[in-house]
Amino acid sequence: MSAGEMLLSALTSLRANLLRSSLTMLGIFIGVASIIAIVAIGKGGQTAIVSTIESQRVQNTIQIIPSELVAPGLPQPGQILQFSQSDFDLARTFPGVQNVYYTLYGTATIQTPTKSLSISVDGGPSYLNEIGHFAVVSGRMYTQADVIAHRRVVLINQSLAQKLFGAQNPIGQVVSIGGVPLQVIGVTQSTQVNFLSAVYGSDTAYMPATTCADLFPNWGITEMDIQTYPGVNKAQLSKRIVLALNIHDHQAGAFEDSSGFLLGIEKTVGTVTRILTLVIGAIAGIALLVGGIGVMNIMLVSVTERTQEIGIRMSLGATRKAILLQFLVESVMITLIGGGCGIGLGVLVAAIVHWLSGLPAAVSWWAVAGSFVFSGVIGVLCGLYPANKAARLNPIDALRYE
Amino acid sequence: MIELQHVSKRYRVGPEELEVLRGIDLTIRAGEFVSIMGPSGSGKSTLMHILGCLDTPTTGTYTLRGRAVQMLSSTELAQLRNQQIGFVFQNFQLLPRMSALRNVELPLVYAGVQSRLRRERAEALLAQMGLQDRIHHLPNELSGGQKQRVAIARALANEPAILLADEPTGALDSVTGQDIMQLFRSLNDTGVTVVVITHDANVASVADRIVFLQDGQVTDDSQQSGGSQR
Repeated sequence: MSAGEMLLSALTSLRANLLRSSLTMLGIFIGVASIIAIVAIGKGGQTAIVSTIESQRVQNTIQIIPSELVAPGLPQPGQILQFSQSDFDLARTFPGVQNVYYTLYGTATIQTPTKSLSISVDGGPSYLNEIGHFAVVSGRMYTQADVIAHRRVVLINQSLAQKLFGAQNPIGQVVSIGGVPLQVIGVTQSTQVNFLSAVYGSDTAYMPATTCADLFPNWGITEMDIQTYPGVNKAQLSKRIVLALNIHDHQAGAFEDSSGFLLGIEKTVGTVTRILTLVIGAIAGIALLVGGIGVMNIMLVSVTERTQEIGIRMSLGATRKAILLQFLVESVMITLIGGGCGIGLGVLVAAIVHWLSGLPAAVSWWAVAGSFVFSGVIGVLCGLYPANKAARLNPIDALRYE
Repeated sequence: MIELQHVSKRYRVGPEELEVLRGIDLTIRAGEFVSIMGPSGSGKSTLMHILGCLDTPTTGTYTLRGRAVQMLSSTELAQLRNQQIGFVFQNFQLLPRMSALRNVELPLVYAGVQSRLRRERAEALLAQMGLQDRIHHLPNELSGGQKQRVAIARALANEPAILLADEPTGALDSVTGQDIMQLFRSLNDTGVTVVVITHDANVASVADRIVFLQDGQVTDDSQQSGGSQR
């Protein structure tokens, strides 16, 4: 019996019980669809997080941070390793370095005559909007001159402006932060379109680093931003500066390039999403297994129902192998059709998720190929027992079966 | 062509052993038309199963066209059924979801015949049975007589050594039954070896030779002179 003949025969008998065949396929269909969708969404989530982290890197800027917040060898346990003025002076001496800034951040209370709110405060260089991912929507950003002159100016984000001043124009208003009056010179809006905006989206005030240091002298400087000239090899320069800083502070590994820290986060994110995908995938796998049991169940019913047919076929010269293959092909066809449609649905779900959330949920070819092959394997495994049962029937008993 | 020597068949039914066939000796030559008659319980069904290679004897030998059937594996038995035996059953045993044509093609499928040849052969056989305009009908769209003709066409598909019919008229009215027996008669005239198993003396009388079976033994084996109703 040729392969084409077997496929045709299997299709004919599946079509004869169309509803039952479809319902049996449903189990495999749902299982495969969920695996495809979950793997795609998991992969997409990972890509989204990683690209968000990637977007934190700023052109022509090297960011150096302490390796660990609590460094060994400090007089007080729990004290944060900070940069000193001499660290900054040292970094400025390197060729290729255009300028070195520091950024400060912490929380403080902002006050107007009528309101008082707890906010985040960022102090930084005049290009803070680039590294801090915000845009000035009205008014102006503070300038290099403002930084040098320790000017008491501040920018606030839109929601904060709304809370403090309502419909009034916030530009030119005076607010008090940490008890010091500052003039509002601009309103900002976050330029982050990703999930991090939710984390960073709290009410924030931005001011020159020097002003911030004046207001909060006890906030340690835990970030060094080095602006490089265009075309400078950042990786190499960063390595040399980090080495020099560590020697200067007599602590090997005290400071590092924050991109290493970002890489670590990326790695962790990768691991976490992989584990999550695996766990959810395993649950979907259980759905697939249940689908497989459904296939086996229906094949057993089908063998019993068609006992007489098996007897007739045997009397006409079907060998046990031919009967075995007949039922095996049917079972594999159920799981392959179910699996194939499942792949289609999975791809569709991934596309819908991509369309709705913007998550780059891409279906990988190996997930498609893998689930198709796996469906086939389930078909063989779950069809083997019923098919063998059919093949082992005694032709006389099978013929007589009513 | 068919030779049974001291064929016995015993079954275990619970603690007892039931001997259904006891030392049958029977020879059927090519081109014969034989009826095997006997009341129910005489062992004629078991004899048919052995003749049809659906079962093997417990003791004794069965030789079909020179092959010792009792020695064969289940795969070889299947091949033998495919090539040498054409079954016709009381209740037709057509596959309900297949057209007449597909039913007749089935033994050819298992014989590995190429699809175009298969179709030609099946169409020719159905035409020979007078069913050329019924080839695409499903069994339940055919009358009893037509169904049995499809079954006979199917039995003849691989040009078997013997056509083995088990109560072929049992599910038909007497007129149609007569027609079917006459069909066997004319097939026999073209050289086909026919063995009909029946309990009906009228049916048996169409054959040239009648073998009586009782309690698993051959009690009478007589040639009919002019017994046929031509």
